Parts: sequence; structure tokens; C-alpha cells
Amino acid sequence: MNAFTRLVAVCFALAALLPLISNRYTLFIGDAMLVQIILAIGLNLLVGYAGLLAFMNGALFGVGAYALAVLHDGQHWPYWLALPASGIVAMVIGVAIALPALRLSGLYLALATVAFAQFALWAFTHWDAVTGGPSGLKVTPTDFYPFPVSSETGQFYLSLLVAAAIFWLTRNLLRSRIGRAFVAIRESETAAEAMAIDVTRTKTLAYALAALYAGIAGGLFAPLLGLVVPESFDLFQVVFQFAMVVVGGMGSLAGSVLGAALMVWLQEGLRAFKDLQEIAFGGLILLTVLFLPGGVAGLLRARFGWREPLHRPTQRHQPHASA
Amino acid sequence: MSGLTTGGIYAMVALGLVVVYRSTGHINFAHGELYMIGGFLAYSFITQLNIPYVAALPLAVAATFALGAATDRLIFRRLEHSHETTLVLATVGLSFMLKGISRFFWGGRGEYLTIPPIVDPAPIFVFGIPVLAQQLVVLVAAIVIMFACLLFFRLTIAGKMMQAVAENPLAAYLTGIRVEQVRTWTWGAGAAIAGAAGVLIAPLSLLTPDMGFSLLIKAFAATVLGGLGSVAGAIVGGFCVGLIESLAGGYVSSSLQDVSAFIIIMIVLIARPTGLFGAFRLRRA
Repeated sequence: MNAFTRLVAVCFALAALLPLISNRYTLFIGDAMLVQIILAIGLNLLVGYAGLLAFMNGALFGVGAYALAVLHDGQHWPYWLALPASGIVAMVIGVAIALPALRLSGLYLALATVAFAQFALWAFTHWDAVTGGPSGLKVTPTDFYPFPVSSETGQFYLSLLVAAAIFWLTRNLLRSRIGRAFVAIRESETAAEAMAIDVTRTKTLAYALAALYAGIAGGLFAPLLGLVVPESFDLFQVVFQFAMVVVGGMGSLAGSVLGAALMVWLQEGLRAFKDLQEIAFGGLILLTVLFLPGGVAGLLRARFGWREPLHRPTQRHQPHASA
Repeated sequence: MSGLTTGGIYAMVALGLVVVYRSTGHINFAHGELYMIGGFLAYSFITQLNIPYVAALPLAVAATFALGAATDRLIFRRLEHSHETTLVLATVGLSFMLKGISRFFWGGRGEYLTIPPIVDPAPIFVFGIPVLAQQLVVLVAAIVIMFACLLFFRLTIAGKMMQAVAENPLAAYLTGIRVEQVRTWTWGAGAAIAGAAGVLIAPLSLLTPDMGFSLLIKAFAATVLGGLGSVAGAIVGGFCVGLIESLAGGYVSSSLQDVSAFIIIMIVLIARPTGLFGAFRLRRA
């Protein structure tokens, strides 16, 4: 157990105390942060570790939320069954969309998924029979009987549990043979293939995990808001989620946790200035990429020197010929 | 007919994408926003500064060229040695920033700006088919501009230098071409083509800061259909997407227009990933 793991464990333990001291609003923000942490971990697995660029995360987040609303409130499935099911629905749809593109170079995945993001938004808005159209679907608060908690507090603890479990599982996965295969593919597909890594299968696995996490995050998000509407999953999600991963630090799980928390906090701060949000998050991505390539995690690592499995190496820096 | 006109616009935007992609190996996700800004600049020039349309076109194109070249100097050149993903993420960040800035200058959400038509709006008849004169102007201008671009690549030294950089940067460097400078021109040229498309479509459509993204996806569909990286493919693909879309909209359902790009991309990737004209780099080296 190294310093890095301890730090994150302490963070999750401290977060467990939040319901004792918070009001409904801070509890809501805390829960939203946890949901975004799950999304950021999945996206970082895909973009930061496996080096694949895909834009479907926001859309699959929406698919998960809609799946939960349909299964839980429409079909009256119990929540404990509907939540994993919504993750699986998102994973199946996501993989079906991406499979043709995963065989090809990374750009095709980016192109196919960006078109899917637009398609999903269109389907959320126009497929009235299932999605309820622009007015969306209502989600009843989860009942945590027999546990003696209100549904808000219970929802928070559930998100915390799921986020901690996903963090722990992903960390272990990334230290395994599969995690090393992700990084090998990021650095060079040809070299990875030469080392007998099944590139298409490994890429599909990274993608499927990201899709599963996004779906589960959607399933946790739906009862948190109580309402599933298309606007929650519009194109702003694309820039928001990339900002979490990039600012937190690509190829750093701790960075994803930090980045998600920071971005949710920033978005709350900018709630009064909605028009500034696109500029702020787009600008943050640009500035981080240009001046702080490792993100916040890279900065902390340089300061405090924690070791993290498969941390993205410091950027290969070559001075370019000046014109 | 309107399918041909929108197809011409898609072809132009796709052409700009491919020009940049061939030379730098990167897809510019801010390309749609450059198109959008071209349209808005034309709006400002024409309705606010009372510049005639004919003069506003080159002005807006020059401005988008400068913007494209500036993004290369300030952003993309610095990221030349980082991972491909990093650079594409930078273009995504840039795209949302440009969108936000345009919203700030030209009106927020849900407002649409219009430009008065530049020619008589009454339809004229070509072979007995009623056609809006404006559409004809756009189509002809798009074809002329694309033809000029092709001639530029074939005939001028600058165009040949861009091709050389696209083909093999090291060899181009060894023959004395300033690779970085040529790349800056290329980003600028790609942006200028997108800007020109924006100016052309401006009198025919409603301007909104969100128009860049949906157009970008149509242009993606055009490049994938034509073969990612193929210049001729981008142009043919653009016209095909425009025609397919308007036919599907007319004969099946008008709501298909919004999702045509996704459907086309999926079909091409499943059935023929190299597209109609063969892809430039199908698998990453």
C-alpha cells in the first residue's frame, strides 16, 4: 500500500462523513462529484491509458440514465437490478456502435463516436415512445429499506461505494497484464501487435469498460436528479468530461478523481454565468494541454513524488526548430 | 437541387478537413467552428458595416485564414511532439472556446441571425425545374472555389510544397522546404476554405453558434464516404451526402436529415472502410 493508495483511501473515507455535516445542497454536489468521478475514470482508461479518442461517453451516460428510468420506473425493476442492467445496456449499445471502427485507426473511432453523440441526442429528443421526448422521464427516488437512511443519503453512500469499487478495480486492472497492454497500444499499435497483444480485442475491452462505467454513472445520476431530460446529455458533456480528464491528468486515476471534483466545483461556481462555461472548459483543456501536460496529477507528482502504477510518462519533449 | 447546394457546402468543409489532415495527420474538430465564424463575419461585414457581399467574401476568408494560421502558431505547433490524442483534444477545447466566444459576440442561445439575400429571391427555371437563384450562386461558387483549390495544389509552388509536406515531412525538409511554415499555411488554407463555405451559405441559412458542429459531422461523413484523406473523395463524398440526405428527407422522412451522417458513417465503416476512393492512412503506423 503506497502513499498514493493511502491518500485516495483517506479521501473516500472522509467523503463517507459528508452526510453527517452537510445540507441537501452539498450532499447533492458531493453525489454529483462521485458520479462524474466514475465517468472520468472510464474516460481516462480509454483516452489517457489506451490512447483512444472517443466522444461517446456523454451519450452513453445518457443511455444509462434513460435505461434506468425505463427499467426502474417503466418496468418496475428493483433498483439493485436496474442499476447494473443500465450499465450493461450502455455497454452493449456502445460496443455495437464502435466495433466497426475499432478495427481501424484511432481517428475512425473518434469520427464514428462523435456522430453517435449527435445521433443519441437526437434519439433522446425525438424517440418519444421510449424517452418521453424533450420533457423527459421522471425517476422516483430510490427506497433503501431496510437501511435506516433517507433516499438522498442512501443514494450518496451507494455512489460512494460504487465509485470506490470502480476506482479500486480499475487500479488493479491497470497494474495487470491488461493494463500494460492498454499503455503499449497507446504508445505504438504496431509494437504492441508485435508483442502478441491482440490490438482489436484489447481496444474493445478498454472501450467496453469505459461504456460500462458511463452507463453505471448514468444509472446513479438518474435518481439523483429525479428527472432524465435530453439537455443533461448534450454536447456540453463532451467538453466537460474531457476537461475532467485533461485537467486532472491523462493517464492518472488519482487525477481523474481530482479533475472530476474540481470541474463539478467550477461548474457550480459558474452556474450564474452559463455563457462563460463553454469558454471556460474549452480554454481549460487548451491551457492544460499546452502548459501543464500532466494535469494537476502531474503537478502534484512533481511536487510530492508519489508513484502511481503506469502513470503517463512525462511528455517526450523535443525542442522544435524555431521558424 | 437544394441537395446539390448543401452537398457543395459539405464538400467544401470536407475539403478543408482533408487538406489539413493530409498535411498534418490530424483531424481538426474546430473546423466546424471556423465555418460558423466565417458566416458570422460575413453577417457583421454585410449588415453592420454595410460592405457589399462581393467584398465581404474575401474579407471573411482572409480573416478565417488568419485565425487558422494563428491557431497553428499558438497551439498546434507547440504540440507537434505530443501524442495524437493530446492534439485532437486541443482542437476539441478550441472548438468549444470559439463557440462560446461567438455566442458572446453574436447572440446567445436560440437566436438566429439572417443576411438579406444577395440576388433576387424569386425562383428561376433550369430545364423546367424551379431553382432558387441563390442556391445556384452558392453551388457555382462552391465548385469554382474547389476547382481553384485543386489547381492551386497541382500548379503552384506553394501547393506542391504542401503536398510534399503531406507525403513525407522529412524529405520535404531535406529539399529545403520550411515544413513548419508550410503547415501553418495549411491550417490557414483549411480554415479559409471552411470560412468561404460559411460565407456562401450565410444568405441561405440561419446563423447560430451551434451550426458548426452539425456541419462538421456531415463533413466527417463526407470524408469517410469518400475515403479519409482523399481530396477527390471529400468532394464527391460531400455531394453524395448532400444528395442522399435530401432524397432521404424527401422520400422517407425529413427527420432522417439530422441523423443521415451517423447512418452513412456506420454503413461505410461496416461495408467498405476505405471509402469510395481509398483511404490515405487506414491503420496508424
